[in-house]
Amino acid sequence: MIHIDRYAYRSKLKKTDPMQKLFFAVLTLGMCLWADSNVISAAVLVLMGGITVFRGGTSLYFLMKLLAIPMSFLLVGVLTVAVKISEDPGIMLVSLPMAGVWVGISQQGLRDAGRLFLKALGSVTCLYYLSLSTPLVDMLSAFKRIGVPKLMVEMMGLVYRFIFVLFETAETIFNSQNSRLGYASLNSGYRSLGGLASTLFIRAYRRSDELYTALEARGYDGELNVLEEPYQRHWAGYFAPLAVNIILIVITLFLRQYEGGRLG
Amino acid sequence: MSTKKQLFWGLLFMALLMPQAVSAMHIMEGFLPPVWCVSWGILSLPFVILGLFSISKTMRSNPRLKILLAMAGAYTFVLSALKLPSVTGSCSHPTGVGLGAILFGPTAMTVLGLIVLLFQAILLAHGGITTLGANTFSMAVVGPLVAFATYKLVKKAGRPQWMAVFLAAALGDLLTYVVTSVQLAFAFPAETGGFAASLVKFMGVFAVTQIPLAISEGILTVMVFNAIAAYGKDELKDLRVSFEGGLNHAR
Repeated sequence: MIHIDRYAYRSKLKKTDPMQKLFFAVLTLGMCLWADSNVISAAVLVLMGGITVFRGGTSLYFLMKLLAIPMSFLLVGVLTVAVKISEDPGIMLVSLPMAGVWVGISQQGLRDAGRLFLKALGSVTCLYYLSLSTPLVDMLSAFKRIGVPKLMVEMMGLVYRFIFVLFETAETIFNSQNSRLGYASLNSGYRSLGGLASTLFIRAYRRSDELYTALEARGYDGELNVLEEPYQRHWAGYFAPLAVNIILIVITLFLRQYEGGRLG
Repeated sequence: MSTKKQLFWGLLFMALLMPQAVSAMHIMEGFLPPVWCVSWGILSLPFVILGLFSISKTMRSNPRLKILLAMAGAYTFVLSALKLPSVTGSCSHPTGVGLGAILFGPTAMTVLGLIVLLFQAILLAHGGITTLGANTFSMAVVGPLVAFATYKLVKKAGRPQWMAVFLAAALGDLLTYVVTSVQLAFAFPAETGGFAASLVKFMGVFAVTQIPLAISEGILTVMVFNAIAAYGKDELKDLRVSFEGGLNHAR
């Protein structure tokens, strides 16, 4: 059900220190947002996508499929940004009169929308680099080292482990309902989904009860301790991301000066 | 009709009729400028801290709750990944905000919502890390608070249980997307008309399209709630005792 997780465990970058990957992803992400330039966004897209595919060993096809997930939000959002309301139809490329004003898309709006589109794609690739190379359990250990409250990290760990149990239950119920035409019409669809959600809740509740009893019988004192796998750590792991980002920042500044000079 | 107009109508219908356009309405990664990422994050922080303290307090008196709460988080996550049959034919995902707020109380829901949103970003590629603050504010702070307040108010007014649950879930869902529109309008104010003009645009796209889905979610939540009340009486009673601000307050 959750494919990203499976890919993360199979990634060739899995053994790398999660702190390094988190550092790289978040730094590049922040840089991409800050730069807000077409060239940099495209560079980040290629760079992070390339690392994920060539260093991490994720298939390009799967990465493309992932990039299509936020596409509906992205297209709608970007179009909304592009649409402008103005009293002057002259600045618009396409427009329509509506209650005395013109609603349409201007050249500037289109340019803004395009930049936003690329920027969002670039940033989302940073996120994919992280989630396709780092299983959540590793990420949690990195969170702990950063200083996220212990209770929060523990809750996340527990939630993560329960998700799979509940997913399996939900899937089984869904399949049996579906094979009995439970989702054939809208009405029966609602009834089935209502049944699924409520049964799932009651099951989840009982399961957590049983789990606690089982844990307590084995000496649970409010903490679940698990061993961490050893990671490959090397200072160069921090150096390379830093260098890449410094180069990108320099390019951004150069581009800005160039564009600023041209405009002024 | 001029070509310009034809093109405009074409684009408009494309945007409106795109299937699935209404699903997964978290603000995606990289969509917000850095200033707003940080601002919304800081704005949600006090609520998260409040929630964490409230959880740790309840946990000290009843350690069993930690496991239960984690299970509730996982439940919300799984629920949000289910497909909701919708009148318009496109499918959407229930937010589970209303149900969670009624069952576990708004403070606990803030922490659970944050975890669920983070997991959705990492595991399902819905939402993002930089937009986590903004999404937390709309989905884990405002949504649950509105749902919970509605539930309490309607119950206090002496209306039947189903109506309270329905309105809580539907309004909680709808307000979540109104806040999302406000966040987007703040981030992308229109050149002419500024914030207000931009808000109208985003509301039209993100909140109005959400109305049928909010109603769907309301209906579903009533069905789920009734079924839980019928088959899970003991569990509900336990919940009422254990969660401060949850059902016990609502009764």
